[in-house]
Amino acid sequence: MEKIKELILNTVPDAVIEQKQKLTVTVAWQQLHLLVKTLRDNAELPFDFLVKLIGVDRGEELGVNYLLCSSTDLSKELVLKTGTSDRENPLLYSITDIFETAHFNEREVYALLGIRFINNPDMRKFFLNADWVGYPLRKDYDANPELNPLSFESVEMVDTAPRIMETPDGLVEETVNVFEDDPYIINIGPQHPSTHGVMHFRTALDGEIVKKIDVHSGYIHRGIEKLSENLTYPQILHFTDRLDYLSANINRHGLCMCVEKAAEIEVPERAQYIRTIMDELNRIDSHCLAWACQTNDLGATTAFIYGMREREIILDIFDKTCGGRLIINQNVVGGVMFDIYNQFQKDVKDFVIYMRSKLREYDRFFSHNVIALGRMVKIGNLSKEDAISYAVTGPAGRASGWSCDIRKHIPYALYNQVEFKEIIRTEGDSYARYLNRLDEIEESLHIIEQLIDNIPEGEICAKTKAIIKLPEGEYYSRIEACRGEFGVFIESRGERFPYRLKFRSPSMALVSAMPLICKNEKISDFIGIGGSMDYVIPDIDR
Amino acid sequence: MLLNYSHPLEISNLTTWLDTTLRSSMPEFWVLFIEFALVIVALLTAYAVIALILIYAERKITAFFQARYGPNRVGKWGLLQSLADMIKILLKEIVKITRSDRFLFFAAPFFMIVASMATFGAIPFGKGLLAVDFNIGVLYVTAVSSVGIIGVLLAGWSSNNKYSMIGAMRSGAQFVSYELSAGFALMTIVVLAGTMQFSELIEGQRYCWNIFNGHISSIIAFVIYLISGHAETNRGPFDLPEAESELTAGYHTEYSGLQFGFYYLAEYLNMFIIASIATTVFLGGFLPIQVQGWDAFNGIMDFIPSYVWFFAKTAVLIFLSLWVRWSFPRLRIDQLLNLEWKYLLPINLVNIVVMVILVLTGLTLKDLFGII
Amino acid sequence: MSSITEYFSGLFTGIRSLMGGMSVTWKELWTKKVTQQYPENRDTLVISDRFRAELVMPHDENNEHACTSCGICQLNCPNGTINITSEMIETAEGKKKKILSKYSWDLGMCTFCNLCVITCPSDAIKFNNTFENAVFTRSKLIQTLNKEGSKLREKKKETLAPKGE
Ligand code: SF4
Ligand code: SF4
Repeated sequence: MEKIKELILNTVPDAVIEQKQKLTVTVAWQQLHLLVKTLRDNAELPFDFLVKLIGVDRGEELGVNYLLCSSTDLSKELVLKTGTSDRENPLLYSITDIFETAHFNEREVYALLGIRFINNPDMRKFFLNADWVGYPLRKDYDANPELNPLSFESVEMVDTAPRIMETPDGLVEETVNVFEDDPYIINIGPQHPSTHGVMHFRTALDGEIVKKIDVHSGYIHRGIEKLSENLTYPQILHFTDRLDYLSANINRHGLCMCVEKAAEIEVPERAQYIRTIMDELNRIDSHCLAWACQTNDLGATTAFIYGMREREIILDIFDKTCGGRLIINQNVVGGVMFDIYNQFQKDVKDFVIYMRSKLREYDRFFSHNVIALGRMVKIGNLSKEDAISYAVTGPAGRASGWSCDIRKHIPYALYNQVEFKEIIRTEGDSYARYLNRLDEIEESLHIIEQLIDNIPEGEICAKTKAIIKLPEGEYYSRIEACRGEFGVFIESRGERFPYRLKFRSPSMALVSAMPLICKNEKISDFIGIGGSMDYVIPDIDR
Repeated sequence: MLLNYSHPLEISNLTTWLDTTLRSSMPEFWVLFIEFALVIVALLTAYAVIALILIYAERKITAFFQARYGPNRVGKWGLLQSLADMIKILLKEIVKITRSDRFLFFAAPFFMIVASMATFGAIPFGKGLLAVDFNIGVLYVTAVSSVGIIGVLLAGWSSNNKYSMIGAMRSGAQFVSYELSAGFALMTIVVLAGTMQFSELIEGQRYCWNIFNGHISSIIAFVIYLISGHAETNRGPFDLPEAESELTAGYHTEYSGLQFGFYYLAEYLNMFIIASIATTVFLGGFLPIQVQGWDAFNGIMDFIPSYVWFFAKTAVLIFLSLWVRWSFPRLRIDQLLNLEWKYLLPINLVNIVVMVILVLTGLTLKDLFGII
Repeated sequence: MSSITEYFSGLFTGIRSLMGGMSVTWKELWTKKVTQQYPENRDTLVISDRFRAELVMPHDENNEHACTSCGICQLNCPNGTINITSEMIETAEGKKKKILSKYSWDLGMCTFCNLCVITCPSDAIKFNNTFENAVFTRSKLIQTLNKEGSKLREKKKETLAPKGE
């Protein structure tokens, strides 16, 4: 890392380098683009994975934090910070040309904080309508409902996008068409059986072939990040279950970890065991559902119900442990809320045996079916470079040959004590993603088997103060959720509420890659690819 | 003779009796008039009843394939479920779509239902239960059933909805392709049997069904007919025109109430029609299982009425179709066309030649073992 | 030649894979079904003890509860689901004391996060598993948890008698 510091100082001599929780570099906004590019292109340790792009209203200035890390070693992290004091017309440089994933994230920052990014090819607001008044995440936002009244008027879709481009004669504001001339557009979503939620893809077709996809999101935007700014940490916890509800427990684990690290709370051993087992059960549950939905998207309704059937058993176990099925509220700061019940070990072990037999059945039923193969093999190819650039993690990223499992790279909970394989395939197509999930179920079963008999006695939750306050600072945590890397960022000003809280949603990256991998595929395959990416909409919208 | 053995449970007895009584008291014209009216009423009722039974059966069987129970709330074992559904669909509002082509939109379902009814009328359900016995029966059935596609295309066009449009276009491509295979498969048997008339076709299969008679060739034709028939009915895995997960409901996205009911009904009836034509052409129609020379056995088999045989054989084929439908994912349009043009059609063409050779060289089972 | 073998081997592996799929559904056809027949199975239905369906305030046989009306649960609820009304009374010894007059909880707004239960210093509330809470009007979802005429259990009593649950 010393070399990197040197490199940074050589590129941008004014950069301020501090060692906080992560190595943090603050630069002026004019120099950020150059620095990011140098960091990505350096041969020593390329920082080629943009994990998070976080807009923050720092009070005196509006800024952005970038969490970068190296795609070969996810534990090498670097935070870049920049900002502008112009609150009227804040402008920063876009890094979309370096990291594709920045595109949607910058649009999100524009919608929520009003920062526009120069050279971003499509500077529409993400999540919010173009005519939304105010920028919700700014500290001086006026939440008066009269400013943004509820309207039942039908609004025509506008397929033009504003943007600011830098030309030799200065900045030019312009408007461009999203689609080429005279497109045949169909709306897939927001109400559609296969978008797995209220997602809206405006799809330009040529016959059956997808020419271009324009993603509209925000139909289920609940402003969780904004709401969190007025809630205490234990209260915020219940939101995490409602992001990606299929990996509810893992998300919550991520937030708990972030708070625990910041407040230096030691989690008891027993709680770690319970957390790990529950996380893996959660992963199996989610992958079962993903399998089911993917098969359903390909038209195999029967398989859908089989997947649901297996999942139900896990939900029963959750129900008995934590009193919830989908939203289970298990993790709390310092440990877990509920201890396991008497029959827990037996139930889980029975399930492991049962699930293995069902995996064989899935294999026979669907994995080799000619029709299914024809609809998955070499369909929706995502190369490793694109996976990294679009920050596509999780089973989908690993299907493109990218080793991106946080459990391996930055082990948390008990993942450094158990043995499991990181499933990596290099094909990068729908089928690889499909098989990856099934194999990950097997690995999860394996992890559970290693832990289930060794749960130590002891406390399930560390004693915490009645009111948890985090010391001033910026805290990051990263965790492997079912769809990829889930991340939490907390900026604390020493109070019981976070100053700014941001979740990294794995699904957003998955969706951002959809226009790329669906281009020139058939419309039926577009649906199938969507199933293989397995995004969850509330996770994107937050 | 055994062939003329008639059984008390046969409906043909009733029809003959009715005919004689009417004729004894009325002029020819009125007799025919009344009989026509009765036949039409009987067919329409049968049409609706069979559809209801099929819908129930499909839902129940599907559920059992899917680890569920299926309908079991309305009536014992949910037996009244499809009746309740029918009443619901009759009562539902027919939504008028403002920007659609009203006339075509309204007419489209009728094409669909008329085509399937007209085909339905030509099916021999049992001894004496054949409304019309054309000498070109097979040709008639193939021709009339293809009118249905006009309904689908019109629906897609007139709805002024892009999903419907794509669905209809897919349906067009699919229907044109598979109609070819279905037709060729039937022709293979026509070559074997030497007739297009259903009554003769059936009579010829008394001791040796066509599927056995032409052995390899017949079996291939049978399988191809089932596949392409299945594809013609737009049912999974060939349900691309509807493709729920892609096109929400495909060509009938905009239809509601009874108009949707027509499509729904026609879909089930088409499934039945395909199965019953396959039964008639390949599996000896309404004839019982008979073995030449085993008179006692034949007598017992004959004891079961012919329509029971017919429906039983059809039911087996329908079950097969459901089983396939609920086991496989949907094909993509190019896979669908590949299957037809790359596999079914070439195989079919070769098969028809093989059949001609079999017939000409006397290698059919009937020729080999001297069965009548 | 090889393309012909490919053609046929493709055809046959294809058919075999389809048969494999059909064998799975065939087996399923005869397996016991998993659907639960609710409400017929109401008598045998087991809902886990920990299932969070409804917030209750346990009262003992003397119609006494443990809520001191401290308001901690209300403070901790992220959704403003709990609304406590209390009044000041004067005890026999002449001390001022706050007692609970109404504990209202809105089922429709609760996210079942369990924070109220775990933060309550007196263990006065808990979740039970009676899940059949559907009603026709929203106002009925707002429930009053303290019973008519109930009062706070005296501290001494609590140590003697087992906790009234
Ligand atoms: S229920 Fe518990 S926390 Fe709530 S007011 Fe009563 S004693 Fe306090
Ligand atoms: S469970 Fe949570 S949301 Fe519900 S009343 Fe208690 S604190 Fe409030």
